Amino acid sequence: MIPFEMVEPQSLQEAVSLLDPEEPTIRPVAGGTALMLMMKAGVFQPTRLICLHAIEPEHARITVSGEALRIGAMATLSDVEHDANVAARLPVLKRAMRTLSNVRVRNVARVGGALAHGDPHMDLPPVLAALGAKVSVAGPKGHRELPVEALYSGYYETVLEKNELITSVTVPARNGRKATYMKVTSRTADDWPALGVAVSFAHKDGTIRDPIVIVSAATEKLTRMTSTEKELQGATVDDKALARAGEAAAAEAQILADAHGTAAYKRELLKVYLRRAVRQALAEG
Amino acid sequence: MKQVGREIPRLEVRAKVTGRADYVHNLRLPGMLYGKVARATVPHGRIRRIDTASAQKIPGVHRVIAGEDIRKLIAEPYYGPAFHDQPILALNKVRHVGEPVAVVLASDPHVAERAAQMIAVEYDELPAVYDEVAAMQPDVVVHDMLKPAGTFADLKHLKGRTNTNVALDYHLRRGDLDAAMARADRVVEHTFKTQQCLHLALEPFVSVAEPGDGVLTIHTSSQTPSFVRTEIARLFGWPENRVRVKVPHLGGGFGAKVYVKLEALVAALAVLVRRPVKIALTMEEQFYMITKHPTTFRIKSGVDRDGKVVARACEVFWNGGAYADIGPRVTQKSGFTAAGPYDIDNINIDSYELYTNRTPAGALRGFGIPQLVWAYESHSDLLARELGIDPVEFRRRNVLREGRPQASGTAMKDAAIAQVLDAIAARMGWSKPFDRGHGTMRRGRGIAIGFKASISPTTSVAIVNVSADGSTTLYTSTVDMGQGSDTAFAQMVAEILDLAAEDVRVVHPDTDVTPYDMGTLGSRSLFHMGNAVRLAAEDARDKLRALAAEAGLPEGTNYPPAEIFKKRYGMQAGNIIGTASFVPTYKSPNAQTGLSDNVTPFWMIGGAGVEVEVDTETGAVRVTKLVNAADCGTPINPAIARTQLSGAAIMQLGFTLSEDMRLDGGQVTNASLADYKIPGIRDIPPMENVLVEAEQHSGPFGAKGLGESGTFGVSPAIANAIHDAVGVRITSLPITAEVVLRALRAQAGKPLEDE
Repeated sequence: MIPFEMVEPQSLQEAVSLLDPEEPTIRPVAGGTALMLMMKAGVFQPTRLICLHAIEPEHARITVSGEALRIGAMATLSDVEHDANVAARLPVLKRAMRTLSNVRVRNVARVGGALAHGDPHMDLPPVLAALGAKVSVAGPKGHRELPVEALYSGYYETVLEKNELITSVTVPARNGRKATYMKVTSRTADDWPALGVAVSFAHKDGTIRDPIVIVSAATEKLTRMTSTEKELQGATVDDKALARAGEAAAAEAQILADAHGTAAYKRELLKVYLRRAVRQALAEG
Repeated sequence: MKQVGREIPRLEVRAKVTGRADYVHNLRLPGMLYGKVARATVPHGRIRRIDTASAQKIPGVHRVIAGEDIRKLIAEPYYGPAFHDQPILALNKVRHVGEPVAVVLASDPHVAERAAQMIAVEYDELPAVYDEVAAMQPDVVVHDMLKPAGTFADLKHLKGRTNTNVALDYHLRRGDLDAAMARADRVVEHTFKTQQCLHLALEPFVSVAEPGDGVLTIHTSSQTPSFVRTEIARLFGWPENRVRVKVPHLGGGFGAKVYVKLEALVAALAVLVRRPVKIALTMEEQFYMITKHPTTFRIKSGVDRDGKVVARACEVFWNGGAYADIGPRVTQKSGFTAAGPYDIDNINIDSYELYTNRTPAGALRGFGIPQLVWAYESHSDLLARELGIDPVEFRRRNVLREGRPQASGTAMKDAAIAQVLDAIAARMGWSKPFDRGHGTMRRGRGIAIGFKASISPTTSVAIVNVSADGSTTLYTSTVDMGQGSDTAFAQMVAEILDLAAEDVRVVHPDTDVTPYDMGTLGSRSLFHMGNAVRLAAEDARDKLRALAAEAGLPEGTNYPPAEIFKKRYGMQAGNIIGTASFVPTYKSPNAQTGLSDNVTPFWMIGGAGVEVEVDTETGAVRVTKLVNAADCGTPINPAIARTQLSGAAIMQLGFTLSEDMRLDGGQVTNASLADYKIPGIRDIPPMENVLVEAEQHSGPFGAKGLGESGTFGVSPAIANAIHDAVGVRITSLPITAEVVLRALRAQAGKPLEDE
């Protein structure tokens, strides 16, 4: 690793001011679990890192506001995993944490970093996207809010400016919707996923209503599957309907080949796991 | 108290758990420079120009050194245990991506790293060869001329050969193969392949060279300190006593850290700049040092009506990569067991070591045996199916029984093959009904057994020092890299000298202090060094008795050593040095037939039984039960022995299901732990580890080695279990979920598209 400068701003505002919209070698660092790997591999060589550990503690809190749950960007993944409100309101999020990385990483990695990193293999973004979560972003021009699914523009790319920071993510009330996330690894259990499938839907009178289907890992970026959602809208949960939805998803997703498998294989996985995800969401309640 | 057979924890466990154990990685010497290697970016090419100017300009860079600088110090800077083919730094040509081309030295490792990235090398690229079968044709020749080291008699005929990639051709001829095949009721042929994978010790390679007054000290993470000393002395043209090699703890070796790895490089650099030099590889750089041979194995068997194998032909091609390392030994020493642990009268074996433009291949926990067992035990299962015989029963009919000659002509002695097979079958409940699953989850089970000869003839020397207070120290050059040798040897010494094993101090290898040992490899230490340790302890015991007689103590009385010393020398003074060396007898195989009636001092036997669940929609394979069984003679420490068995099996599980060095145009595309997947804790199946009741009569206290035996059966047992579950046969490793799904879909007539 090549030497670099590290600064530790005391407030969010100061942190934003230290970032440079034109300079890609200046970057914020929260938990550092992803960035450090890139630095050790020489893929990223910073000149300066803006460490966010000393900004206001409120940015690390998990709070309930009205029906929604607000998770500060500096909350660790372990904070989310062990939070009583998360457990009560969003059990799917707690469950997802258990398959996400390992306890050492979860103790250090931050929610904001997990969202901003832009690696399509990460597990947290698809879960939050399927739950209809929105991220709050702070920049020199103030705050803005956007859905998690709209955060990504490409492989390791987000729509954020280089001097914008995610401050929190807000997850709306579940309102009885069913939700699940399935991480599919093709080599070892602790591998990055070959495919991530997250679904949420209302289940009324035996039919699926207002589904959200998110595919990750197998695609260049986290993707909301609108055609698949149309296929599922109003469908009864049976093998035939789920097979149709699986075919729709396999046709819709822009699946890429990589070390986890060929595109053809991952399309097969998607067909199978979309069905399994819907069934698992119903089973988990 | 009886010491041999005690299940004491490893002696060093407290030091390791509390972070106090010594590793070379932690060593810092005054004035030490860090070296960072600049590596070849092309798989095969002539070096046109190495531009080190911009690297040299970086502030803090002490010096940049390339191959020609080394040549000024050492006229012939080539090393290797079998061939003197590997340059310390590339000369004229590079032969694989990642080959060391130049080194930057700096006091700050980060500066060295940055500067190493600035070194620009221009190449005239040459065509490259990656496949072991393709390399049989000399269309692309990796080495202009073969340069056998002269250490091994059976490599001499290769000296000076040109226009070939064959670094050893080993042939075995037993009986009359053609006639037996012609008479056979059925002849069945298959081809099996294995992939390139690597050891990936959690402690990557690291060596420090420290120039001193008339002696060069090398601190290194090595399994072969004595060899390192000999080879470094040879390179410099020095006597051995001018080189001192010290080895503290190792964070794993697995056959990677044998012979010379970084030692020649740090030695040359330190002598050039007259300062201590350390090179510590990153995890990623390990992918360019040493790997496990990819193989292609064509196996053909003739069987009679009763399910007896009457003839077997084996053609094995070993992909040795750019430098021979110990590959030619793998080709021969493992090659002669290629027909499996079966009693077959007519056998041909042709085993070829090939140079290619990949990272070199050498020894990896099993020395080639797992590649062979993969083929012959997958083949055994297919034969049993073809004949409609239960796979366990088929093996029972063919297995080599005690006293019967193995393919080489050496009789099986103290080789509990049938017992290992029976133990696995019993633990698997083989004769009981089996739940075959339902729906998209299908269950199957499989078994496999294998065997291995020990590398021979090799020497071990041990010294036991009894101090005047009776406390005892053992000096050996065996490297305890986690296998528990320190503990086992301490138990042996304690047994003979009537001590507690915990009170015996074991001195780690230091060639100025500890005596010669051929190396900690091939599961040879417990047998070879164990015998030397036992004899040295007995020597010390006898000398103590003699000392007691000199002191005028009556014979047969049991005075504590401290009293004997005091009586003899009048105070707490003197010591007793017990020494012994051990080298087993051996007869070289006949050059034409490959036969010898004394090819190994002992046989290692191992096998596995596996239950799997296969997801027929995704191809995912889950191992739900793994039974590992081995004959290790009478274990010195059964608890440690069982963990050796399970550790080896887990390692082989990775080589079976997920590990795969992927190559694109000669470049390794997954050189990191993120992309090269070793098993994690959640991949490890429930295991049973069984040591069958046995005795190695020539071994110390009836024991022999088993560091590798747990690897033998795992891969084919899994493939056999998958076949049992879903009816498809996988013939190449690794068996990923995608590979299985593709086989299932091809079987169903609905193949998946290629991309």
